[in-house]
Amino acid sequence: MRAEDERYFETLESQLEEAMDVAETAKQRGDDPKPEVEIPVAKDMADRVENILGIDGVAERVRELEGQMSREEAALALAEDFADGSVGDYETKAGKVEGAVRTAVALLTEGVVAAPIEGIDKVEILTNDDGTEFVNVYYAGPIRSAGGTAQALSVLVADYTRALVGLETYEARQEEIERYAEEVGLYDKETGLQYSPKDEETKFIAKHLPIMLDGEATGDEEVSGFRDLERVDTNSARGGMCLVMAEGIALKAPKIQRYTSQLDEIDWPWLQDLIDGTYYDDEASAGEGEDGDGGDGDGEGEGDEEANANDSSPDSGADDRPPGPPRVEPATKFLRDLIAGRPVFSHPCAEGGFRLRYGRARNHGFATAGVHPASMHILDDFLATGTQIKTERPGKAAGVIPVDSIEGPTVRLANGDVRQIDDVEEALEVRNGIEKILDAGEYLVNYGEFVENNHALAPAAYAVEWWVQDLEAAGTDVQALEDDPRIDLEDPPAEQVLEWALEYDAPLHPKYTYQWHDLSVVAFDGLAEAVSDGTVEDGGAGGETLVLEHTDAVREALETIVIEHRQRPDRIEVDDWDPFVRSLGLTADLERTWSIEDLSERARAWGVHEDGDNAIEAVNEVAPVAVRERAPTRIGTRMGRPEKSERRDLSPPVHTLFPIGEAGGAQRNVADAGKYAETMSDTPGVVELEIGRKRCEACGEETFKNRCPECNERTVPDYECPSCESRVDPDEAGRVECDRCEIEATCVEYTEVDVHEVYRDALEAVGERENAFEILKGVKGLTSTTKVPEPMEKGILRAKHDVSTFKDGTVRYDMTDLPVTAVRASELDVTVGQLEALGYEEDVHGEPLTHADQLVELKVQDIVLSDGAAEHMMQTADFIDDLLEQYYGLEAFYEIDDRQELVGELVFGMAPHTSAATVGRVIGFTSAAVGYAHPFFHAAKRRNCDGDEDCVMLLMDGLLNFSISFLPDKRGGRMDAPLVMSSRIDPSEIDDEAHNMDVVSRYPREFYEATLEQADPGDVEDIVEIAEDTLGTDHEYTGFGHTHDTTDIAMGPDLSAYKTLGSMMDKMDAQLELARKLEAVDETDVAERVIEYHFLPDLIGNLRAFSRQETRCLDCGEKFRRMPLTEVCRECGGRVNLTVHKGSVNKYMQTAIDVAEEYGCRDYTKQRLEVLEKSLESVFENDKNKQSGIADFM
Amino acid sequence: MPLEGPARIVSELTSRGYNADREAVTLIATADDPAGVLERAIDAAPENALVLRTEDVRTVLDAQTDTQPAATEPTSARQDPPVSTGTSPDASPQGEGSTPVETGGSPAPRTPLDPSRQSIDVANDMTGQSTGTGEYEDFVAVFRDRLERLGGKLRGRVNHRPATAIQAMPGGGEVGMVGLVNDIRSTASGHWLIELEDATGTFPWLVMKDRDYADLVDELLCDEVLAMEGTLSDDAGIAFVDSMYFPDVPRTHQPSTADRHVQAALISDVHVGSQEFMHDAWNRFTDWLHTEDAQHVEYLLIAGDMVEGVGIYPNQDEELDIIDIYDQYERFSEYLKQVPGDLEIVMIPGNHDAVRLAEPQPGFDENLREIMTAHDAQIVSNPAMVTVEGVSVLMYHGVSLDEVIAELPAEKASYDDPHKAMYHLLKKRHVAPQFGGHTRLAPEEKDHLIIDEVPDIFHTGHVHKLGFGKYHNVLAINSGCWQAQTDFQKSVNIDPDSGYAPIVDLDTLEVTVQKFA
Repeated sequence: MRAEDERYFETLESQLEEAMDVAETAKQRGDDPKPEVEIPVAKDMADRVENILGIDGVAERVRELEGQMSREEAALALAEDFADGSVGDYETKAGKVEGAVRTAVALLTEGVVAAPIEGIDKVEILTNDDGTEFVNVYYAGPIRSAGGTAQALSVLVADYTRALVGLETYEARQEEIERYAEEVGLYDKETGLQYSPKDEETKFIAKHLPIMLDGEATGDEEVSGFRDLERVDTNSARGGMCLVMAEGIALKAPKIQRYTSQLDEIDWPWLQDLIDGTYYDDEASAGEGEDGDGGDGDGEGEGDEEANANDSSPDSGADDRPPGPPRVEPATKFLRDLIAGRPVFSHPCAEGGFRLRYGRARNHGFATAGVHPASMHILDDFLATGTQIKTERPGKAAGVIPVDSIEGPTVRLANGDVRQIDDVEEALEVRNGIEKILDAGEYLVNYGEFVENNHALAPAAYAVEWWVQDLEAAGTDVQALEDDPRIDLEDPPAEQVLEWALEYDAPLHPKYTYQWHDLSVVAFDGLAEAVSDGTVEDGGAGGETLVLEHTDAVREALETIVIEHRQRPDRIEVDDWDPFVRSLGLTADLERTWSIEDLSERARAWGVHEDGDNAIEAVNEVAPVAVRERAPTRIGTRMGRPEKSERRDLSPPVHTLFPIGEAGGAQRNVADAGKYAETMSDTPGVVELEIGRKRCEACGEETFKNRCPECNERTVPDYECPSCESRVDPDEAGRVECDRCEIEATCVEYTEVDVHEVYRDALEAVGERENAFEILKGVKGLTSTTKVPEPMEKGILRAKHDVSTFKDGTVRYDMTDLPVTAVRASELDVTVGQLEALGYEEDVHGEPLTHADQLVELKVQDIVLSDGAAEHMMQTADFIDDLLEQYYGLEAFYEIDDRQELVGELVFGMAPHTSAATVGRVIGFTSAAVGYAHPFFHAAKRRNCDGDEDCVMLLMDGLLNFSISFLPDKRGGRMDAPLVMSSRIDPSEIDDEAHNMDVVSRYPREFYEATLEQADPGDVEDIVEIAEDTLGTDHEYTGFGHTHDTTDIAMGPDLSAYKTLGSMMDKMDAQLELARKLEAVDETDVAERVIEYHFLPDLIGNLRAFSRQETRCLDCGEKFRRMPLTEVCRECGGRVNLTVHKGSVNKYMQTAIDVAEEYGCRDYTKQRLEVLEKSLESVFENDKNKQSGIADFM
Repeated sequence: MPLEGPARIVSELTSRGYNADREAVTLIATADDPAGVLERAIDAAPENALVLRTEDVRTVLDAQTDTQPAATEPTSARQDPPVSTGTSPDASPQGEGSTPVETGGSPAPRTPLDPSRQSIDVANDMTGQSTGTGEYEDFVAVFRDRLERLGGKLRGRVNHRPATAIQAMPGGGEVGMVGLVNDIRSTASGHWLIELEDATGTFPWLVMKDRDYADLVDELLCDEVLAMEGTLSDDAGIAFVDSMYFPDVPRTHQPSTADRHVQAALISDVHVGSQEFMHDAWNRFTDWLHTEDAQHVEYLLIAGDMVEGVGIYPNQDEELDIIDIYDQYERFSEYLKQVPGDLEIVMIPGNHDAVRLAEPQPGFDENLREIMTAHDAQIVSNPAMVTVEGVSVLMYHGVSLDEVIAELPAEKASYDDPHKAMYHLLKKRHVAPQFGGHTRLAPEEKDHLIIDEVPDIFHTGHVHKLGFGKYHNVLAINSGCWQAQTDFQKSVNIDPDSGYAPIVDLDTLEVTVQKFA
C-alpha cells in the first residue's frame, strides 16, 4: 500500500474513532436498549466469515489461502480441508459437505450477508435407486442474498466435496426432473425470478446435476402434478432451490464452467450444452416442427438466446452463403416482460439502434452504459443519469451514464434537415421538430463488461481512438499531428481527411465514414449514379454543396448510411461531400469511374441477412481509400427501472419505534393515541400493548423501559416461562429455556401502557413542545423478539426535523448506484480548497491541483451525494445534533448550516440483503438523481451498477440509533441492517465483479481488431489491464485510467420522463410515440409486447383475483377469506367491502383494445382482448339491464 | 325417388319446405351423391331457414372432403351402382339410391330416427340471466342462497341453532348447527378445528383426532355446507363434534330411466384448434355414429371445451393449429356437422371456450351461436341440468375437480379416478364449493352451482381422464377428451384418455365405452 493510501485510511479511521467516542459516551447516558454502540468494526473478511459461520480455524485458513488464489479457488481448497477433516470438526460426510458449502457461500459473499447461515438449511445423504448414496442440499429463501454466482458455486463445492468424501452422484428420477420444471415455473409465476429458464432448460439441469437440490417450502401455492414424491418433502415451491436452479446454475453456467474445467475430480460436460442452448437435442420431445414457424419477425426462438451470449463463431448457420462481415446474433431476451410506459430504444441488432463503441468513461464501471446526453434528450427524456436499461448484450441490464465524448443521435427534422446532434443545447432546440430518429447515437461499453459477462467481443464501431492507431500503424507521426494546434484529430475538415487517407494509406476518418454496411449493393450503385448526376453549388460561407435530385431512392439511401444532409422539396443538399463522393467511387468532379459489373463477385454477394445487403466491400473496391465498417454492432435496449434518489420511509412513515396499537388511528398518530379511550370508562391514553417486560435488578421495579424509572439503573429483560410462570434467566449462549417445562421463556406480554404519560415525559425530557412538529407517528406493534420499544424522545426529534426511521432505528436515503473514478471539483459543487482539505493534492496527470476543472482520481471510500441526499443528510445532522444536546446532554456534533459543511463527513453505505455497512466520506454533490461513488465502494456493499440502489446513513445516526433489538424476529429480519461495519475497503475482499473493470487510458489497436474476430475476452486480457491485475500491489487503490472523458457526470435530463409523466396512460402514449419515431424500433411489436406482457397479464390477473378475492372491513381492517354471511364485519359490525373492484379489473381494457387497433396488432392478440372484454361484460353487467346506447332510442 | 337433375332436386326441396339458391341446386346436382348431400345440406342449414343457401351446400361438400379418408363414411360406403363409374358427375343424371338406408353395407348405416320420440328439457340454463354486477352484495347473496338452500336439506337432521344463539348458551349442553365451512385448522395436539358460519356469525367445532369423524375432515372443503351436532365445552367457547352431516344424495335415491332403449354419447374436451386435436379419432367417432351399431345413440352431450381457445396460457399461439378463435369454432362446427343430423346435441362451455371463466358460465354469445348453427345443437350454461327422455343429466365442465383432487388425499380423489372426485361434489351437493382457490366465482343473485335436485347422471370433463361409477345410484361420468397429450400435461404428469366416447343406455344407465383412437 502506498503511504498516501495509508494516510487516507488513517484519516478516515481516526475520524471514525472520534465519532465512536462521542457515540459511546452518549449511549452510556441514554435510555437505549444497549449502553454501547451496537455496530462493531470488522478487521477483515476472514474475521467476518469465521464469525458468521462459527467454525474455528476458518479465518486463519482463509488468510493463508487469500494471497495465493481467488476466492472461488479458496472455497474449493477449503472444501478439500473440510473433506480431509483439517478444518471443521465434522464426523459425518454430510457434515463435511455442509461445512464446505456454508464456508463457500460465506467466502464468496465476503462474510457480508446472512445467506450462509439462513440460506442453507442442512445437507443430508440420501440413497439412489441403485442403493448408492448421494448428497442433498437444503436451501432456504435467504440464499437469494448470496447472488447467482455464489449460489451456483455452492452447488459446485457440494459436488466437489461429495467426490472427495466418496459419495456417488445423484440420479434424478424422471418424476423428480419433471417436478423441478413445474416447480421452478410455479415459483417464477408466484414470486418471480430474475431469469426464467424454460422447462427444457430446468429439466436438462435437473437431469445432469450431480447433487440433489432441495429446500423448505416458501409459498402457499402447490404444484399440481408430481406431488407427494418420495424424496421431496413438500408439494409447495421450494424458493431457495428454485433460486439456485434458475438464477444460480442456469444463469451463471459460464462462470461455473471456469472452475469445473480446473478440477479433475468432477466433470460437468453438460454445462457446455447448457451454455450453448443445445440441450434441445437431448430432449427427444422438443419438436422440430415448432421451429419452422418462427419466422414472424421477432424471432422469439428458444435456444438461440442462450446460445448467442457466447457465440464466437459468427459464420455458423451461414454456410450456404459466401462469407459476410462479422456480426453478433440478435438476442430478444431483453424485450421480455416489456412494461407499459418503459420504451424500447432499439430492437435487437436493428439498424439505427445504439452503436457499440468500446471505451471506459470516467463514470463508467461494471454494468453501466455510456450514452450521449443529446441522445437522452432526443429519446424524449426517458433516459437520465442512472436510469436502468435492459440490454441485448453484453450483460442483461446497465445503468445509464452521460458521456459527451461519443457521438450523439442523428435525426430528420420536419423541415427536412438530417442532422447529427452532438450537443445538448441543440438537442433541446430541435427536439420538438423531430420526425424520425435515424440513428440513436453511440453506446459506450467498456471491455471489462465483456470480461465480466464472459461474452465474446462484438465487432467495434470505427472510432477516432482506433483510427488514430490505424494512422500510427500506417507510419504517421501522430504525435506531431496531435501537437499541431491547427489540427483537430477528432473533428478534422473533409479535405484534411482525404489527404491523410490517401497520403498515409490509413482508413478513412470515422467522422466521414458512413454506415455503408446498411446499404445494399444495388442501392449503392443507384446512389453512385444519382450522385454522378448531381451538381455542385457554391454554398456561401460553408463552402460547396452537393445538390442531388430528390427521389425516394436517394433520400432513403442517404438516411440509411446516416449522412447529414438537407431534404428540400425538389432537391437534396449535402455539405462536406468530398469523402462521401469518393467513397462512392466518383471523382471530385462527380464522374463515375465504375459500373456494377466491375465489382467482384465477392463484393456483390457480401451480406449479412442476404446476398448483397452490405455495400462495404463494394465501397472498398471503388473508393480510392480504405473504408471500415462504421457501426457493425447495434445494441438493443429498452428502459428498465427509472433512477432513484429518495428518502427511505417505511409505509406509513415512522418517527419512533414505539408501539401504539390501533389507538393512533390509521395515521399511527402518537398524540391521538395519548387521548384515545375505547369507552367512556377507560382512562384516555392508556393502551394495551404487546411489549417486552424488563426489570430493575437494583430495586426490582418492572417496566418496559431500558432504564429504571425509579432508580435510573439499567434494566434487564424479564423472562418468564409461559407454562409454569417461573422466572428464567438467559444462559451463556443467550438462550432462555425453562429447565422444568423445556419450553422457551418469553418477556413479551400484553400490558397497559400510559402512552399519554410517555409522550408528555418525552416532550419534557427533550424540552420540545407539541407544535415543534406536525405529527409524531409511532408503529402499530413491535416485531422484534423482545419487543423493546425505542425511547420516544428520539421520535420527537425526528418528527421535528422531518426525518423518519427504518425498522432498525436508522434514518436512510436511497440512491441508484453509479461508479466514478475521477471527478472535477467544478461538477461536485465544491472548491479546490475543499478537495485539498480531503487529501487531494494532484490531478490525474500528476499536476498540482489548482483549478476546479482539473480531474482528480477519486479515493475509494469517497462518495458523491445527490442534491436530495445532501438535503436529507443535513436534516439528519440537525436531528443528531438536537439528539446529542437535548437527549444525551452532549455537545452538537455536526453543526451544519450550509451543505458545503457536509463535505468530509462520514456516512454508512448499506445495501439491501446484506448485513454489513461500509464507511464512506462525502466529497461533493451532483444534480443527477444518483449516488456516485468509486466502483470499489459499491462492490464492497456487494452492488453493481445496473440500476441497483442502496442507501446512505449519516455515521452518527447509525452509531447512536441502530439497535439489533429492533430487528424483526423472522427469517431475513437481520438483512439490510448494519450488524457490522467495514472501516476500510480491501480491494481483494469486495465483490469480484469490480475486478473486471478495465483501468487503461487507451485500448490498443489489436483489441479493436480482435473484436472483429469476435474473440473471447480472455484472449485480449494481456493487452488491456483490468483492476484484477493490480490487486495486492501498491497500485490497487489507484491508477484507474479511462479512455473517455465527459464534461460533467450529471448531464441530460435530471429525471427520466418516466418519473415526470403523470399517469400510466401518458407514459404509454409517450412510449408508443417514441417507438414510432425511432428507426430502430418496430412500434407494432412494442404495442404487441405491452399488451402481451403488461395489459393482458394485468387484466387476466385482476379478473382472476376478482372472482376469488378476499374482503376487508372498512372500519377495523379485518380481512375475510370469503364474504361473511353476516354481510357486515363479524368483528366490529362495520362495513365490509371487496378488495378487488370492477374499476381495478377493467382499467386497462379499453386502452389495450385501442392500442391493439391503432398499432395493428395480430388478430390473435385482438381476439384475446375481445374474449376478455366479453368476460368482463358478462361478470360486471346485468344481462337484463344492459347499458343502452343512443341507438335504442332512435 | 332418385334425384335426376336440378328439377327433381328443387321438387324434393320444396316438398320439405325449402326454397333454394340456383347455385345450391347446381352444386347438389353435380355432387357425387346428390341425395346424401341434399340430406346433409338440409341438416346443415340454419334452423328456421326457408332458403337453402349455396354456403350450406358448400360446407357439406367441404366437410365431405375432410372426411373422405375415413373408410366408414356412410356416403362412400354406400354402393350405388349408377354412379359407380361416373367420374364426371354431370354425366350421371340418371339417379342414385333413393334413401341413405336403402342398401346395406359393411358396416350398415343407421336408420333415420323418429324425432317425435326424442325429448330434451333444460332446467336451469342461466344464459342471458346473468344479473350480477360484481358488487359485494352480489357475493353475499350467493353464499346466503347457498346456506339457505343446501342448509334446508340439513335442518331436519339436526336440532340446529344460529351461531350467535350457541355463543350465548351455557356450557355443557347438546347443540347442533348448520353452516358453511369457514375455516379448517389442525390444533397443536392434532385435533381439528372447524369453524362453521351462518348468517349470524361463526362458531368453532372441534373434531377429536381419534373420533370417527376425524377421517372425514380431510375431505372437507371450505365453503361447503355442513351440519354438526355435538357437546358444548364447559365455557361454551367451543363444541365437540359428535356427528357431522353432508347434504348428500340419499342412499335410497332411485334414478329415472328412459321408457325405451335409447342411448346418449357423453363427451367433452374436443379442443378443436389445438395441434393435438385428434381429428382422425373424431372422424372415426362420427363415422361410427352413422352406422347401425350406433342406431340407438340419439343424443350427444358435450361437457365443454369445444375448442382450444386463445390466450388460455402464455405463448399458446405457438401450439395452436388454428390461431383464430372464430375459425376454431367454424372448424368445430364443421366437425359437429359430421354427426348425423337427427342426433340431438346439447353442449355447455368450458374453461377453454370464449366465454367468461368465472362460474356459472353462460352459454355462447350470439356471435358464436351463429357460427355453430349448422347442427342445431342446444347451447346452455355451465352447469346445466338437462333432462333427456326423463333422465336428468347434470352437465358441468369440471374445473373444480382440479381443486378437489388437490385438496383431498390421493386415495379419496385422484386424476386416475376422476369419478371419485365427482362423488364428493355429489355428496356436497355443489359443483364447486370452495371459494378463493382454483375455481372462479361470478356472483349472481343465487347460487347456480348448487346441485339442488339429485341428477340421474352427473357428467363432467376438464381433467381429460375417463372414469365412471355410481354414487348412491347416481351415475358419475367424466368423459375423456379428443386431444392427445400436450407438452403441459406431460410436464405435470397427466396422461389423458383421448378418443373415447362413453355411451350410456338411458333405459338402464349402463355404460359402454367406445374407443376411437
